[in-house]
Amino acid sequence: MTAAVLPRASASPLTGLRTAWRIFWYGGLMSYGMLFNWARPSIYIPTLIGGPTFQLFFFAALGSYATNRSPAYFAIGNAVQVSVLAGVFGMTMAIANERWFGTLPAILATPANRAALFAGRFLPFVFNGLLVSIYALVLGIVFLGVRLQTSSLAVVGVALLTTVFSCTAIGALQGAISLRLRDGLFGANLIMMGILLFCGVNIPLSELPGWMQFVGQLLPFTHGLQAIRQAADGAGMGEVGGLILLELLVGIAYAVAAFALFQLLERSARRNATLDVR
Amino acid sequence: MEAARAARQIWAITWFNVRMLLASEFFVLITFIAPLIFATLGFFLFRSGGGTAGQTLLYVALGAGMMGVWSTTLFGCGGAIAWQRWEGTLELLVCAPTRYDLILVGQTFGAVVFGFYGIVATLAWGVVLFGMPIEATFPLVLPLSLLAAIVSLGALGMLIATSFVLYRHANALGNLLEYPIWLVTGMLVPLATLPFWVRPISWVLAPTWGMEAIRGATIGAAPPLLAIAMCFVLAVVYYVAARYMLVFVLDKARRDATLSLQ
Repeated sequence: MTAAVLPRASASPLTGLRTAWRIFWYGGLMSYGMLFNWARPSIYIPTLIGGPTFQLFFFAALGSYATNRSPAYFAIGNAVQVSVLAGVFGMTMAIANERWFGTLPAILATPANRAALFAGRFLPFVFNGLLVSIYALVLGIVFLGVRLQTSSLAVVGVALLTTVFSCTAIGALQGAISLRLRDGLFGANLIMMGILLFCGVNIPLSELPGWMQFVGQLLPFTHGLQAIRQAADGAGMGEVGGLILLELLVGIAYAVAAFALFQLLERSARRNATLDVR
Repeated sequence: MEAARAARQIWAITWFNVRMLLASEFFVLITFIAPLIFATLGFFLFRSGGGTAGQTLLYVALGAGMMGVWSTTLFGCGGAIAWQRWEGTLELLVCAPTRYDLILVGQTFGAVVFGFYGIVATLAWGVVLFGMPIEATFPLVLPLSLLAAIVSLGALGMLIATSFVLYRHANALGNLLEYPIWLVTGMLVPLATLPFWVRPISWVLAPTWGMEAIRGATIGAAPPLLAIAMCFVLAVVYYVAARYMLVFVLDKARRDATLSLQ
């Protein structure tokens, strides 16, 4: 008896790259449309437009009343912080909902490049976070006296993009953790509140106790917001480049941790046959 | 006899709902954890402005606690009917011989009472971490203030439950209405510092008077009798409006055969 041996299909590196790019691009877009529960006007507008609007006014009023600082200080902090809603909550849903919607086993059964699959999810949420933050910044400029130096607008843009990326990265980590939890949004809410308290959004880092400053340094957002505040006052890339780089490194560290956890949970789920267990 | 049965029913549903909310991570978060974070933020903000002398800490703790009460009322009541639909119990409850509005009263009071646990947690947090003094200028009026606040917020919760059900995504409305009510009801920012056109809005909102009743009894210069009276007046108005709304909503749902539809 002989068995025919089929030649193994050989894929050129270029084909592999093209496939990975398609998974990255189309997979990311599809995950946004299908897994992000808020991607419809009836939820998006109240949650990602209305909520941030009132958050901005609330903290501007509270902060300026309690501290006598300009409302603009609080407006900038909160305008950047509202991107967390899109980044952290969005990314948590984009990963954790695979399990709840029953698509996780199908995704993991495919030979798709995991790095492309995972990284593709970032893009729509980074873009979404940027949109929400830019909207809030415009609101701050129109109503709360926020002023950005035109000479450093590009620096503000780069710092904002980096900050939103690092927030999305911690959202990815929370999403990976949520694959094992009953309610993933609990952690997302905690992260959002943690950033509000520890990262200098409303209270300058120097006025917090030492241990809170330490926690703030480990969280994403802190260095990025410092860079944005300084750039808004006219600082150039030479002055805030270090802060932006630090923020980027923190974001990359969270993204790598998220991917590693995702891989670990995938292996563990395969080994223990718990892929579809809720 | 009828009244006693209704009271017993409301009581049973209230505590049943409190126990249910205690099992929900989301409600534990918004009732116990979020107020502590907002209280801490408030303490640091006022300390940054040099204003933690006297009763400022108590002012902040009560305000942050009341913010938690509002969140619990908003999400607990806003989604009440929607959750019954989701769980498949709405048809059974509406068809039961027991009056449905009493069931809803119990449910909304459950959410509000649960929310008030958050105030206790926030006060304890302030005492332990920030050395906040606990004192009340009118200790005998305080229980009445708390009762007035619970009753008015419960009635408002019922109105929210019956009106939010018309919107498909009640939780999204909750996300929208958390901050503005915190702001316009003077929970942490005095109303006097807000634009004049905000005041009439705050007058028709129960949390404004509930907050004033509780603050008046603890750190006020005079007993908050007006605030307590306004709480009860608004509670009656909300209840009547909620009854009408409930009749309309249930009628519409029966007519369109959408009682159990999401």
